[in-house]
Amino acid sequence: MDALEEESFALSFSSASDAEFDAVVGCLEDIIMDAEFQLLQRSFMDKYYQEFEDTEENKLTYTPIFNEYISLVEKYIEEQLLERIPGFNMAAFTTTLQHHKDEVAGDIFDMLLTFTDFLAFKEMFLDYRAEKEGRGLDLSSGLVVTSLCKSSSTPASQNNLRH
Amino acid sequence: GLLSILRKLKSAPDQEVRILLLGLDNAGKTTLLKQLASEDISHITPTQGFNIKSVQSQGFKLNVWDIGGQRKIRPYWRSYFENTDILIYVIDSADRKRFEETGQELTELLEEEKLSCVPVLVFANKQDLLTAAPAAEIAEGLNLHTIRDRVWQIQSCSALTGEGVQDGMNWVCKNVNAKKK
Repeated sequence: MDALEEESFALSFSSASDAEFDAVVGCLEDIIMDAEFQLLQRSFMDKYYQEFEDTEENKLTYTPIFNEYISLVEKYIEEQLLERIPGFNMAAFTTTLQHHKDEVAGDIFDMLLTFTDFLAFKEMFLDYRAEKEGRGLDLSSGLVVTSLCKSSSTPASQNNLRH
Repeated sequence: GLLSILRKLKSAPDQEVRILLLGLDNAGKTTLLKQLASEDISHITPTQGFNIKSVQSQGFKLNVWDIGGQRKIRPYWRSYFENTDILIYVIDSADRKRFEETGQELTELLEEEKLSCVPVLVFANKQDLLTAAPAAEIAEGLNLHTIRDRVWQIQSCSALTGEGVQDGMNWVCKNVNAKKK
């Protein structure tokens, strides 16, 4: 595409579509914060967390799981956008996105990008595994956790605290 | 999809560089990776999977992916080609018996569509060993001079002592944009 063509293309995406763009960004935030999305993540992690080990070297099996995760998240976001915004068009949105490069600095885009960060992905799984196996801070027992017991999560000390 | 587009938009201003580190088993890839990250290199075992480290260099954030080089895991290399900015190929310069094998693997990599035009740096590693072949001899053996479709460089080094490693990385930083432009 030459410069002139690109310019007129950009112009067609001015003010009217600016509001539209902002609406999609707002919607993206809602989608990511939604409990349904957390549920999707957790059920995905349930399926694979036992594969992940807290070692520096990564297993080759992590990579297909990572790729599956990216497509799952991507597909979910697109479906939700279609559901929430009548007539939503992903191709048009991504084109607009390229013309809003400078605004792509917002929190929501940083958050979306962490979904494509392998090390963040591995960390998420290791945290989940630790939580599942009672080595982390178990939020399901949040009611009995007080500041005194935060330093320890062994079953023995948990019993003591329930006295 | 959306996420890959976002990644492309973001990676340019941040100057994040994805470097793929490949080569036969025992070439010294993981030692090189740890040397780059200034980490302890005294207890390195054969890589069964892959390692990743991020290193800051000359204003770039270099994300280096080191994939195990054993024959049985080489078929997995292709899962890591996507979005590669620079390919670093490591050779054990003292393992003359496997020069042909390593040359064959490199030739195949250079034919990969997903790696087309990606600048390649060949590290002629293990120069600390007396039996190491000089870089010029390796370059000739691998026919590097016939490469026409990308920029390339051969650099002699010792991942063990660190000699030559920085020279290679300087070349990497200079040629990062050769593909992106």
